[in-house]
Amino acid sequence: MASAPLLEAVEVGYTYPGENPTQALEGLNLVVRDGEFLALLGPVGCGKTTLLRMFAGFLRPTRGTVRCAGSVVDGPGWQKGYVLQEESIFPWMTVRENLEFGLLAKGVDPEARKAASDELIRLIGLSAFQASWPKELSAGMSKMVEVARVLATDPAVLLLDEPFGALDAQTRARMQDALARLWEQRRKTVMFVTHDAEEAIYLADRIVVLSERPGKVKAELAVEIARPRSVETRFSAPFLALKRQIWEATRGGEP
Amino acid sequence: MVAVRVRRAVVALVALVLLYGIAAQALHGRLPDRIWMGSHYVDNIQLLPTWGSLAEEGVFLAESDILASSVLVSTRRVLAGLLLGSLVGIAIGLATGRARRFDAIADPWVTFFRFTPALALLPLYVVWFGYGELSKILLIASSVAVITLLGAHHGVRAVPRVYLDAAASLGASPRLAFRRVVLPYALPHIFASIRVATGLAWVTIVVAELIDAKMPSLGYLLALSGAYPRVPTMLIALATVGALVLAFDLIVLFVHARATRWMRRTS
Repeated sequence: MASAPLLEAVEVGYTYPGENPTQALEGLNLVVRDGEFLALLGPVGCGKTTLLRMFAGFLRPTRGTVRCAGSVVDGPGWQKGYVLQEESIFPWMTVRENLEFGLLAKGVDPEARKAASDELIRLIGLSAFQASWPKELSAGMSKMVEVARVLATDPAVLLLDEPFGALDAQTRARMQDALARLWEQRRKTVMFVTHDAEEAIYLADRIVVLSERPGKVKAELAVEIARPRSVETRFSAPFLALKRQIWEATRGGEP
Repeated sequence: MVAVRVRRAVVALVALVLLYGIAAQALHGRLPDRIWMGSHYVDNIQLLPTWGSLAEEGVFLAESDILASSVLVSTRRVLAGLLLGSLVGIAIGLATGRARRFDAIADPWVTFFRFTPALALLPLYVVWFGYGELSKILLIASSVAVITLLGAHHGVRAVPRVYLDAAASLGASPRLAFRRVVLPYALPHIFASIRVATGLAWVTIVVAELIDAKMPSLGYLLALSGAYPRVPTMLIALATVGALVLAFDLIVLFVHARATRWMRRTS
């Protein structure tokens, strides 16, 4: 059960430089185990994105260490499949070209690229859109392409930064299902940043709640709800119990 | 999209010709036909030639091959200057856009040269490169290069961080990211600058040909018609230059639209 840690943050602190330096994180310890779906939950501005960008290799901790698969993270790369919070699908490439970009960067030959993108297109159900430009996709579809694009290179870990934050509630629920299905097929280690408790419970094996800035680990909860999860799950007793627990944890410390 | 623009351009030109013709016809016989040129009088001047005399002049210019050969020579110069200037300008602009450290030197240079009128360079170019084709083409290339350099530079700088981060996360080398992310993003900026540069190239060549006037060329045609003076010839030469600018603009737009299909709005 207790598999090896894949992502590790040890006593991590980060202070944004500038005229008024902002301390985003302080003394943060976190472990994501191999094959685990971890949700990082916290209020806006608590440093969730900062932590994710450290794992992705775009920021270096000002204190402490960040490790991926045992070695210190030193720069971005395909092993850390990072999906940005902002829309980052390349608008000048078709859906298929977007999906194949990581493989192109890896030097994979065209036939193998096509085989891989074929499978991903099928997995995310976008066969009708494989030759479309991103502007023809809905926001939710674009996000799924971004997730699948990162999966194509077979990274060690998926780092997802509020991928469905900009979507309406209904689309978001649909995208969560799509992501859950994708994950059940491709069991990757996932670190999923969100400020939505329900989304965290629905998707994750474990939830880490961060405090307000500077972000620290405030609570940790295991989600022991069987997969595959469905709409029914969202109204089940354990689900609601967890929701209450998170609500209390986030309120904790306040009068 | 380009087809619509071509149609619009044709309609606009026909409307212009119609309006001009009606005005010229209405004023025919009411304008003086004798003017004072500073030292002498010129008789039988047509201040606003009618369609009839324009057509007559047009037929003469066409049959004598003056117009066609002038268009050919001037177009060739503009094309050569545009090609050379764009290649140099875009190459430098892409390089300065990438190398942020280079900015400290390049930025004042660009400002220094940006507003130097091409014509101010003409005497210098004549001394350096002689009276021939070379100085004319280099003159156009210079003005084109400055504009396209700025377009390419700003295009590279405008690439949003998210795309660069996404590319780096997918394992793209700086080279691949440049080719497949930076360049496509910068392309619309580059095309916009080529459009401006194309218009400027025509301004530059016609005026350059006015000063070093040799036959055949559109600049010389204008200079010659001013010397007589013959208003119908002037108007036809001006309209020819205008039509060529319009045609060049539409060609650039067409290539632009083809190269950036991903941007086109779905209607």
